[in-house]
Amino acid sequence: MLQVLLVAVQLIMLLSLSPFIVGLIRKVKARLQCRRGASVLQPYADLAKLFRKEPVISSTTSWIFTAAPYIVFASTVAAGLLMPVFVSRSPLNFAGNIIALVYLLALGTFFMILAGLDAGSAFGGMGSSREAIVATLAEPAMMLSILAIALTAGSTNLSTIVHKSALLEGVVLAPPAHLMALAALFIVTLAETGRVPVDNPATHLELTMIHEAMVLEYSGRYLALMEWAAGIKLLVFLTLIVNVFAPWGIATSLTPSSVALGVVVYLLKVSGLAVVIGVIESMFAKLRLFRVPELLGAAFILSLLALVFFYTLRG
Amino acid sequence: MPVSTHLGSQLVDLCSVLLLLCCFAIVAQRRLSACVDLFALQSVFLAATAALVAFLTGHRHIYFAAALTIVIKVIVLPRILRKVIERLNVSRELVMNVNVPAGLLICGALVIVSFFITQPIIPLGYLLTRDSLAIALAIVLIGFFTMIARKKAVTQMVGFLVMENGVFLGATAAAYGMPLIVELGVFFDVLVAGLIVGIYTHRLQDAFDSVDTSTLTVLKE
Repeated sequence: MLQVLLVAVQLIMLLSLSPFIVGLIRKVKARLQCRRGASVLQPYADLAKLFRKEPVISSTTSWIFTAAPYIVFASTVAAGLLMPVFVSRSPLNFAGNIIALVYLLALGTFFMILAGLDAGSAFGGMGSSREAIVATLAEPAMMLSILAIALTAGSTNLSTIVHKSALLEGVVLAPPAHLMALAALFIVTLAETGRVPVDNPATHLELTMIHEAMVLEYSGRYLALMEWAAGIKLLVFLTLIVNVFAPWGIATSLTPSSVALGVVVYLLKVSGLAVVIGVIESMFAKLRLFRVPELLGAAFILSLLALVFFYTLRG
Repeated sequence: MPVSTHLGSQLVDLCSVLLLLCCFAIVAQRRLSACVDLFALQSVFLAATAALVAFLTGHRHIYFAAALTIVIKVIVLPRILRKVIERLNVSRELVMNVNVPAGLLICGALVIVSFFITQPIIPLGYLLTRDSLAIALAIVLIGFFTMIARKKAVTQMVGFLVMENGVFLGATAAAYGMPLIVELGVFFDVLVAGLIVGIYTHRLQDAFDSVDTSTLTVLKE
């Protein structure tokens, strides 16, 4: 019963927190540009408005177009539920490990690519091909960096990794490997969630958009689902970084006080990371598309080095 | 191993890896001013590592070396290089001998090579800093590679300084620092080298309208 409650709380947290994170990043960027910016709660209002609107669907689309938002949303939420959020032992950890998480996210990306192609508009196809490039280049770096962490913890199960490192059981033995993997995963996060050095989430200019080009044909509740799923994906990546690399303060037992502390610490850490992303987005310009492989290549090398460090520095 | 030494060696490792990360950022960077900034950042981490080693081992003279690093490598040399860049009006490295992804791959290979070279030496070193030795060697090699891979004189200077950082880290890692008089000499050398390269770059610009060192092979009246 307690387990079910925990899963429900985790689900509600993921769903309700993700628009806030998106709004927070926008707010930070606005403040850094000396604008007042929309309220942090604006994405909630946007989502509510989109859910009320009537969706308009092109007559040339197939069932994939209407199914994709639900698949994307469901796979992203499922990925979010597989990992520990504020309790180090996630109740659903039997359902899949870190590799399942990576491929659940990839499933969502795959259907988004299909949906971008489905309406047959030029923008959608362009966005899809770009997203396919970014996703294929980001995948190896992500897998390797996660594998390096899994090796130091001796398990691919996310709950075990986070639980062990929260209790300082053998995971802190290799700070070089950790740091390299963190740098790689951070670059992958920026690429996978369409943040600034790779993609600009605030533009509708055909030269720059990747994610926006794919969801351009969507409207109404479908668009709302896509946007919400993108927010949740961002939150999933931030949670992954925060909990795997800095799990201090997460609840390792189910006493009410430690769970409460875990929730507060989690909120603080995730918001802090969102602020960092906002600052980075203001500091850097978007890379040209042909420079993106360089960035992701760097991420790949760093994650490879994390593995090398694990093997050479272990003794 | 007592806990504090263990934690100390991990902290030293962490700082050395930050230096290595800066190296990779320099290799991936095309803008010259960003290269200089990254070098300054790397020197900050170097000073932190040295201060950490000094604190953990009680070798007071390493504090002086750390302070000198801050003054010369974080403040003076980047300022000279920035002035050079400003006067030359070059902001980007557009032609390179090796492109960025290949360069990154080579650097990754260099790191692995340096780990395998130092593998037999590592058990002989001091417990506190033995892992940093491999990283120091990797930084020296990457600095050398930067000098080969880049054509602009300014980036080659940055590569040279990165090499020097690697040597300093290696000295701190392998022997808990050189004698103070040697360190003073090295810092003076680096400072003079920085000044000379600054002047040399101006001359290069005056003679060839470019700071591309490959033009030096062209005959000119």
